[in-house]
Amino acid sequence: MPRSDAHPSELIDRTRRLTFQFEGRAYGAFPGETIGSALAAAGVKTFSRSFKYHRPRGLFCVTGKCPNCLMTVNGVPNVRVCVEPVSEKAVVIPQNCWPSLRYDVSSLIEKFDFLLPVGFYYKTLYRPRFMWKLAEPVIRRFVGLGGWRKPGGQPPHYEHEYLHTDLLVIGGGPAGMATAKSAAEAGIEVVLVDDQSGLGGHLRIHRRNFSDLTTGSSRPGFEIARDLARGIEGNREIRVLCPATAIGGYEGGLTTVTTKTRLIQVRASQIVAATGTFEYPALFGGNDLPGVMLGAGALRLLHCYGVKPGRTAVVVTANEEGLALALDLQQAGIRVAAVVDQRPEPQESDAALKLQRLGVPHLFSSAPMSAHGRNGVRSLGVGPATGPAAQSTMKTFSCDLVCISLHRSPALEVFRQNGGEVRYDSALEQMVPVAALSHVQVAGEATGFRDLAISTLQGRIAGLEAANRIRPPDVARSESLKRLRISLDAAEEPYRRSRSLLKEPTDLSQGKRFVCLCEDVTQEDMRLAVTEGFDQMELLKRYTTLSMGPCQGRMCLMPAARCAAQATGQSVAESGTTTSRPPVFSVPMGMIAGPHHHPVKLTPMHYQHIEAGARQMDMGEWKRPHSYTTPQEEWKAVRERVGLIDVSTLGKIRVQGRDAAKLLDKVYTHVFSSLQVGRSRYGVICGDDGIILDDGTVSRLGEDDFYLTTTTGNIEFVEKWLKWWIAGTGWCAHVTNVTADLAAVNLAGPRARDVLNKLTQVDLSPAAFKYMQCAQDEVGGVAAILLRIGFVGETGWEIHYPACYGEYLWEALLDAGKEFGITCFGVEAQRILRLEKKHVIVGQDTDALSSPFEADLEWVIKFHKEDFIGKSSLLAAKTRGIDNRLIGFVADAVVEDGSAVVVDQQPVGRVTSARISPLENRCLGLAVVPSRLAAEGNSFQIRSNGQLVKARVHGPPFYDPEGIRLRE
Amino acid sequence: MSFLLPCPNCGQRSSYEFDFGGEYHSRPSADAPEEHWSRYLYFRTNSEGVQTEWWYHRQGCKGWFLAERNTSTNEVRTTFWPEELKSRVAARADSPPTSDSDH
Repeated sequence: MPRSDAHPSELIDRTRRLTFQFEGRAYGAFPGETIGSALAAAGVKTFSRSFKYHRPRGLFCVTGKCPNCLMTVNGVPNVRVCVEPVSEKAVVIPQNCWPSLRYDVSSLIEKFDFLLPVGFYYKTLYRPRFMWKLAEPVIRRFVGLGGWRKPGGQPPHYEHEYLHTDLLVIGGGPAGMATAKSAAEAGIEVVLVDDQSGLGGHLRIHRRNFSDLTTGSSRPGFEIARDLARGIEGNREIRVLCPATAIGGYEGGLTTVTTKTRLIQVRASQIVAATGTFEYPALFGGNDLPGVMLGAGALRLLHCYGVKPGRTAVVVTANEEGLALALDLQQAGIRVAAVVDQRPEPQESDAALKLQRLGVPHLFSSAPMSAHGRNGVRSLGVGPATGPAAQSTMKTFSCDLVCISLHRSPALEVFRQNGGEVRYDSALEQMVPVAALSHVQVAGEATGFRDLAISTLQGRIAGLEAANRIRPPDVARSESLKRLRISLDAAEEPYRRSRSLLKEPTDLSQGKRFVCLCEDVTQEDMRLAVTEGFDQMELLKRYTTLSMGPCQGRMCLMPAARCAAQATGQSVAESGTTTSRPPVFSVPMGMIAGPHHHPVKLTPMHYQHIEAGARQMDMGEWKRPHSYTTPQEEWKAVRERVGLIDVSTLGKIRVQGRDAAKLLDKVYTHVFSSLQVGRSRYGVICGDDGIILDDGTVSRLGEDDFYLTTTTGNIEFVEKWLKWWIAGTGWCAHVTNVTADLAAVNLAGPRARDVLNKLTQVDLSPAAFKYMQCAQDEVGGVAAILLRIGFVGETGWEIHYPACYGEYLWEALLDAGKEFGITCFGVEAQRILRLEKKHVIVGQDTDALSSPFEADLEWVIKFHKEDFIGKSSLLAAKTRGIDNRLIGFVADAVVEDGSAVVVDQQPVGRVTSARISPLENRCLGLAVVPSRLAAEGNSFQIRSNGQLVKARVHGPPFYDPEGIRLRE
Repeated sequence: MSFLLPCPNCGQRSSYEFDFGGEYHSRPSADAPEEHWSRYLYFRTNSEGVQTEWWYHRQGCKGWFLAERNTSTNEVRTTFWPEELKSRVAARADSPPTSDSDH
C-alpha cells in the first residue's frame, strides 16, 4: 500500500527509517508508527489466521481492540501489532498458521465446516469416552492463539504499582481531558488514563473541522486534540498514564490499570469514566475478509500513520460521519466507489452535497450483503436495507476496502463493574448508563451523545461534581455547575431529536457472517444455538464462546445482542448483554503475577553461616543452615562435646501485665499461674476444638512478665491468637512480638557448661541452674535471657540476646568453645537429635486433626483447671476414646517421611518423621498409627519406595530415656 | 474483595491489610453441654445483611476490633473496639444480650 502525502496530523517521522523482521524478511518503518501500520504500508493484507476456520484476517479496528493483528513480537505472544510501536530490529512472527500466513494448510478446515457446527465437541466427541482423549490434542493443535513462551531467553519484567488519588479519569479524549482539567482547577488530585499512544481520543484521527469550544473557532480535530493534550501535560495536578488501559473496576473505588509492563492498582475516591465509544462490525457475508475495516481504523491508518488502507473503497454508513469519512478517503486519493447508506431518504447536508459534486454514488436504503474475494475483499454486493434481497436489486462494486462506519458501542465496562446499570436507549441506539453512582460518573460519548460540545460540557460538569463530592461545597463551584448543566440540557435535546433509527437487514445472505471475530462465531451459529434452546444472552455466550476471546466482547457484544434479539424475536433492550467482568482486556499472566517478590528472612548470623560454608535450606520465609559439614559429624559433636545452633527463627513473644498468668492459663493447656519466677515450662496451645495449634516454652521472668517461644512458622498466628483472647476477655495483658529483636542460639552438649562459664558470671552449676530454669544476665557482656532447656537432649542453654549483637556473641561462643571442640550444627543434625529424644515438632508430627492425645502429649493437659481453650472438646475426646496415636518406632531399613503404615496391605497410618540415627545406626521415627497398634513392642509394616519395611513400636525416647543427661 | 475498612486506630485501609476473624458470637462456659460447644465450633449464622464480626489489622497496628459489615454489599457501617460492644448492644433493645464477654 503506498504512503499518502505528508500531513501535520501524522505521528510518524518521515526523515528516519527503522528496520524490523517479519516472517523472516526485513521490513522498513518510520519512527512513531506501529508494526501494524508499517506492515500495511508494505502491502501486507493478512495479519492473522482465525481461531477455528483459519480464515485470513487483516487490520480491522487499528485501536488494539479486535483480535485480528495478534502476533508474537520479540518472543512475547499475542501482541496487538496495530498499536505496538515499531522498534529497531524487532522480530515479528505470525501465529496460528503453517507454513505461512498467506498459505495456511489448516485453512482447509473451512471446507469441512458442516462437520463443525457450534459446540460440535459437545455433540460428537463424547462417546465412546476415549474419543475426547484422542480428539482433544488434535483440536488443541488447530485452534488457538500464540504459543507458550519457550523456556530460556529473557522473560518480560512486570511490576506492580499502587496509586492513591482523589479522582481517576478513564479516557483521555475531549471529555476526559475536560474532566481532568476542571477537577484539577477545583484543587483535587487527578490521575488520567488513556489507552492510546497519546491524549486526544478520536479527535486525533480527524483532519476535518470541529468547532472548538475553548476558542470558539472551527479547527481540524487533530489540532484541537494536540492543544488540549498540551494543556493537560503542562498541568502538575494531573498525573497522566498513557498508554495505559483500565482493565477492571472493583469495590472500594479500586481500578486496575495496565501499562506495557506494569499493573497499577489505582484507589480513587471518585471515578469518571470518559471511555468513549468504539465502532463495531456490521453483519454481512464475508464481513471478516482482509480489507473490511472499521471506518475509524481506516482513518487512523491514513491520518496518523500516512498509510493508504486501500485503492478503491466502499463506505457503509448510516450517519453523517460516514459521509465525512468518504470525503476524507477521496481527498487522500482513494477512490470511493460508493457510499452505502442505510438511511431511508436523501439527507440535506454539506457532506452529501460535496459527495454529489465529486460524483460519488450515494445509495440510500441500502446495506452490504456480501463481500467477495479469497485473500482480501475484491468486491461488495449491496442490497436493500430492509425487506428481502432479490438478486435483481443487488448491485456489486469492485473495491479493495470496505469501511464500516455504522454502529457504535460505549465502553462502559468499568462503570458496570463498579455496579453501574445500563439500558439500551433506542433513540441513541446505544447502551447508556441508567444513573451515575455515588463514586462513578460517566462523561462524553459513553453517555450516548457523540458531539464535541456535549462531551466537553459533560466533562467539565463531571470534574466539578467530583470536586464537590470530595471537598466541602463551594458556592462558586456550585454556581458554575448550575450554569454548565443548563447549557448541557440545551445541547442534548436537539441532538436526541436528530437521530434516526437503524434497521438490521433481515435475511441471511451468502457467506459467513461473523458475529465474533475472536472465536469464529457466525450468525448461523447463533441462530442454531437459539434453536437448540440457548436463547438467553448469558447462555449463548457460554455455549458459543462468543465474547470470550481476546477482545472480551468489545467487537462482538453488540452484534451478538442484535443477532440474539433477531433470532428470539425480542428487542435489543430485552435480550440485553452479558455481565461485564474484569479484565476488560487480555492481560499477560506474568503481569498479574508481578515481579519475583519472594520475601526472605535472614537471622542476624546469616552471613557467618555462609562464611562457614553452611548449606542453606528454606523454612517458611527463613533461610537456615541445613548443615555445615555432615549431619552425622555435627550429631557426634553435640552428643560427645558441644554444639552451637542458631535458633533465631523461633517465635519470641513477651506477655506482660496483671492478667498475663491468667491469660496463659486460659490459652495453654498447661498451668502457668503456678510457675515460679525463674522457671520455664513446656506448653501446648489448642483451639477450642482441641486440635494442637502450637507449642513452645513459657518462662516466667517476673511476676507479670512471661517470655514465650513459638514454632518458626506460627509466630504471627500465636501473636494474633493471644491478642484475640485479650480483646475478647478485656484482660490486662500485653503481647509484644520480639522475634526480630532478639537473636537466639542453643549451646548444647556435655561441655556446654564449660563454654558458657567462660562468658558469664551466672552460677551454672547443676544445683544452682537446674533443668527448666531461666535467668536474665550478661553473656559475653551482652544482656541475655538464659533458658536451660533440652530440645536435643543434652545439657544446654538457649541464649536469647539483642539481634544487634547476633554475630558478636556467636563468634564469642565459638571462640570460647574452641578448646572444647565446639562445632556449629544445622537443622538436619538437630532433627536427628530431637528424634532420638522423641520431641515432637508441631506441624511435622502433628496435623490439622491432632489433639494432644494423638500427639502423645497427654501430660500437658491439666483438666483440673476451671477453663482453658479446648477443655470441653478434649474432655469429650477423652470420653469417646482416641483413635490414633503418635508412637516411636524402630525400622529394619530406611523409610522416608510421609510413608504409609500398612497392615494387611491396607494403609492405616503414616510416618511423620524418620531418620537414620548414628546412635546404633538404625532407622528411628515417629508415626501415627491406630491406637490398637500403639502398644510397646507391637510390629507393623511401612511401605517406603515400593518396599515393605518391618518396624516395631518403641515407647520411651530412644536416647537417654530417663533424661539424665539433660539434667546433668 | 477490595473494599475499604476503617481501622479504629489506623483509619481507612484496604481490606487486604486485615485478617477476618469471623462473626461475633458468645463462647459457652466450660461445663456447657456438648451440643452448645458443637454449635459454637462448627455452626455459623451466615447471615445476609449487617453482621458484627472480628477483624485483625495484620499489616497495621495488629489490633483486634469489631466491624458492622453488610455481608452482601461489603459496606462497612462502623468499626469499634470490643470494649464498646456492651454499650452498643445495650443501646439496641432488639438485640439479645451477650452473657459471656468472649467471642
